[in-house]
Amino acid sequence: MLTIDRVSKHFGGVYANRDVSMEVPDGELRGVIGPNGAGKSTLFNLVAGHLRPDSGSVSLDGRPLDRMPPHVRARHGVAIVFQGARLFPGMTVLENVMVGAHARTHGGLVAAVVRPPSQRRQERETRELAERCLARVGLEAAAQQPAAALPLGQQRRLQVARALAGQPRVLLLDEPASGLRAGERTDLTDLVRELNADGMTILLVEHDVGMVTSLAHRITVLDLGEVIADGTPAEVTTDPRVITAYLGAGGQHAAQHTGAQHVAHR
Amino acid sequence: MTRRPSTLLVVVAAVAACIAPLVLSDQTFFVHTVLAAVVVSGLSMLMGYAGQASLGQGAFVAVGALTVALGTTRWGLPPLVVLLLAPLVAGMFATVVGRPLLRLQGHYLAFGTLALLLMVQTAMSSIDALGGAYGVSGIPAFGVGGWTVTDQRPYAYLALACLAVVLWSSARIVDSRFGRAMRALSGSETAAESAGVPVGWTKVGVFALSAAFAGLAGAVTAFFTPYVSADSFPPLESFTYVIMAVVGGLGTIWGGVVGAVVVSVLLQALNTVSSQPGLPPTAAPIIQYAAYGTVLIIALLFLPRGIVPSVGSLRLRRPQGSPA
Repeated sequence: MLTIDRVSKHFGGVYANRDVSMEVPDGELRGVIGPNGAGKSTLFNLVAGHLRPDSGSVSLDGRPLDRMPPHVRARHGVAIVFQGARLFPGMTVLENVMVGAHARTHGGLVAAVVRPPSQRRQERETRELAERCLARVGLEAAAQQPAAALPLGQQRRLQVARALAGQPRVLLLDEPASGLRAGERTDLTDLVRELNADGMTILLVEHDVGMVTSLAHRITVLDLGEVIADGTPAEVTTDPRVITAYLGAGGQHAAQHTGAQHVAHR
Repeated sequence: MTRRPSTLLVVVAAVAACIAPLVLSDQTFFVHTVLAAVVVSGLSMLMGYAGQASLGQGAFVAVGALTVALGTTRWGLPPLVVLLLAPLVAGMFATVVGRPLLRLQGHYLAFGTLALLLMVQTAMSSIDALGGAYGVSGIPAFGVGGWTVTDQRPYAYLALACLAVVLWSSARIVDSRFGRAMRALSGSETAAESAGVPVGWTKVGVFALSAAFAGLAGAVTAFFTPYVSADSFPPLESFTYVIMAVVGGLGTIWGGVVGAVVVSVLLQALNTVSSQPGLPPTAAPIIQYAAYGTVLIIALLFLPRGIVPSVGSLRLRRPQGSPA
């Protein structure tokens, strides 16, 4: 159970998140939607530990994460796939995924030079795990390519594979489908659904509201840093506050630009 | 990715390096060049992978040299013991100072490391236990058991052995759990952190590693010279290491060696030219300083990634625009 308890974060005078609370039970696929600037990415960064909240608390199974830096949260099972492609461009695709297992493995400089049997075994296991993760996202053929040479859609899937190598309990996906072509989008949707079917708890931020409503068990809607609705896709998409937030004062016209037509027409 | 140079090239270079001391009558230039390669190998990792510039690697060379100087003359430790101790002491020193120092970034860190070198120099010249104004002399010749070095040549091979160990360790480190974490840092610190890489400690680890290499070079220098004082480690030498690292190619195993050899040979050639009869005595330093600037500018203009990656990409024909 991931618990976000009245978390607030402001930059200057502007609240990016204000008293945001959310409870995500194990195995749930939770969608997080909201107009631009609603504070979705800020929320993810607060959960992953790249930002510290001004107040409030984030905990996993009752264990507070607040004092942990991001790499320690990774050890406790929090993984994040960033918006855009944050890869390690100087490394191969396989090596990128192997870094993802860092939180679960051991060994520093001395182990690197001396290479005792335990270290060799761990290296072999890490490699095999990385290969399985690559196969999972359909990138096994590209294992030895430089990561920077992949097209965007594959880079996004590589990021997912890297997150999987940490065998996380909670996976945060920040706009994984942005910039992808229709075919790539369908593949990604299927992948997210499969991962969740295997029991992984997933939080999904996505502009494509159609994708979120088709995938998520529940959806939390943020607007101007605050939670304005929380419920099943059917509940949320008929909530008048959500429709107003998406349509704004501009009415139907604005909907054309925000993708809110999915919401409005349900 | 680690590009492997062709085995043939490595064998030829290794054979040439092993024959050179037999041919040379004076080993000083050779030993200094090989030891510079040892220092620059570590610096190249620090700059290329951890993205941290150090203008003060001489501080760690000094710590290694002092370990040998004090260990042999004051505490009577055997030469082999102090030789092995020197990189450990330098590495530990770097771990202690690295934690606060590496909170600085970019230019601030570069100047912080330079300040560290100046502080080490000041400590050496003002504290008598560290040599004081006269430095530490009377360092015994290197030896193992009953065998003692009596001329220069064995030092050339000792330096080569150190370089071999450094290159071998580097290759193993690059392809390891720690090495992948280190290389991930240059791609995206945020992503590395999310994958579970402790960014701060990994940087300190690379810093300590580069210091250990520098300390090893300092140890051999101390036996070779055999005299250690604050003036043995001028800041200009530390700047030269940076130039060598950039010219050779950052974040490559062979870049340090290539950079050290190319820059050393160039400076030596200029030295020979400027000491020709008829030239004023000020010619040598002027030409040398000019050469530093010129080499760096030419390298950054035409080989911004350094010699080794540029040659590697010619051979591998990597797609245009892909980062090193």
